[in-house]
Amino acid sequence: RTMRRTTALLLRHGGGGIPQALADVLVCPLSKKPLRYCEASGSLVSDAVGMSFPIVDGIPCLLPKDGKLLEDHQRESGHETSSRDSSD
Amino acid sequence: SGFKQVREDEKSKLVGNVFSSVASSYDVMNDLMSAGLHRLWKDRLVSGAQSITPYGDSLFLPDSSDFFSRLISKLNPFPGMKHLDVAGGTGDVAFRVVERIKSVSHRATQGTLTDMEEDTHIYVCDINPNMLEVGKKRAAEKGYNEEQCLSWVQGDAEALSFEDGSMDGYTIAFGIRNVTHIEKALSEAYRVLKKGGRFLCLELSHVDVPVFKDIYDIYSFSVIPAVGELVAGDRQSYQYLVESIRRFPKQEKFAQMIQEAGFEAVEYENLVGGVVAIHSGVKL
Repeated sequence: RTMRRTTALLLRHGGGGIPQALADVLVCPLSKKPLRYCEASGSLVSDAVGMSFPIVDGIPCLLPKDGKLLEDHQRESGHETSSRDSSD
Repeated sequence: SGFKQVREDEKSKLVGNVFSSVASSYDVMNDLMSAGLHRLWKDRLVSGAQSITPYGDSLFLPDSSDFFSRLISKLNPFPGMKHLDVAGGTGDVAFRVVERIKSVSHRATQGTLTDMEEDTHIYVCDINPNMLEVGKKRAAEKGYNEEQCLSWVQGDAEALSFEDGSMDGYTIAFGIRNVTHIEKALSEAYRVLKKGGRFLCLELSHVDVPVFKDIYDIYSFSVIPAVGELVAGDRQSYQYLVESIRRFPKQEKFAQMIQEAGFEAVEYENLVGGVVAIHSGVKL
């Protein structure tokens, strides 16, 4: 699996960081919208709610109360829309 | 009858403490609560004979692993399925699902790995990271990590981080009684299941069988907390656990709640006279 150097891609598009079997099904626990992997922090980011969730020991920690507010540099400019290529 | 009234925010803290306190003896605790009875009574009652394992209203005491086996049978796992097990961080249900699928698959294909089998994936979601660590370790010991069909996620049954309609099956074993808002857990289960997906819940339930009910009450309220004191040095947590079982909705009421979440073909099966019950439903 190639690690993309560009800004984090949506998990669904092979954004790396976690196994595909997880990338295929994981969503933000609050918004139920797609997550993206933030390489810099090794965390899962939910743009919908502006929070990030850590991955500890390979285990994604997706408790709503453990989400951290995004720093400014973590926010996406919005050019990566969350439309998925699969049927919705 | 003197149950402690527990506020919602207190409940999740108490539950958290209970599990921190007993995480290492979790299996022992469940054994105590449900079928551990058999460890005390089996020899005397059954005296050497193989224990009978009928399912349905019965006083005979199957091994606790029979409860899980029954759950898996009802789930009817198939190769290629995506299955979510909630609150089963230590892997009790997940491993059995994997084994069952492997045996089903091997019988069908004489051992060659099919595409379907490779697509099989079991997701284990638990609110407690310690449980998940235990599960991961056990999976490694069993050699499952090479197969990569298990994933471990920390999450809340009331706010699952799985996509709508992504799962063929959903199980929660001995976990839903610890959820603060059961309706939320049920609606989340409904949300993540695909059409045709099955919901299954294995949980300590209510005994109405005369005489046995009284024995069970004495056992629960006197013996279990005392043993909890001995085993874990923590009488209060076990007291809380016993009371939480009594507070949990009765079989019919819980079945109704499952129906209200949208499930159909809702039914339940009592094991050991209702000490344990398996509730099931289908998302149509």
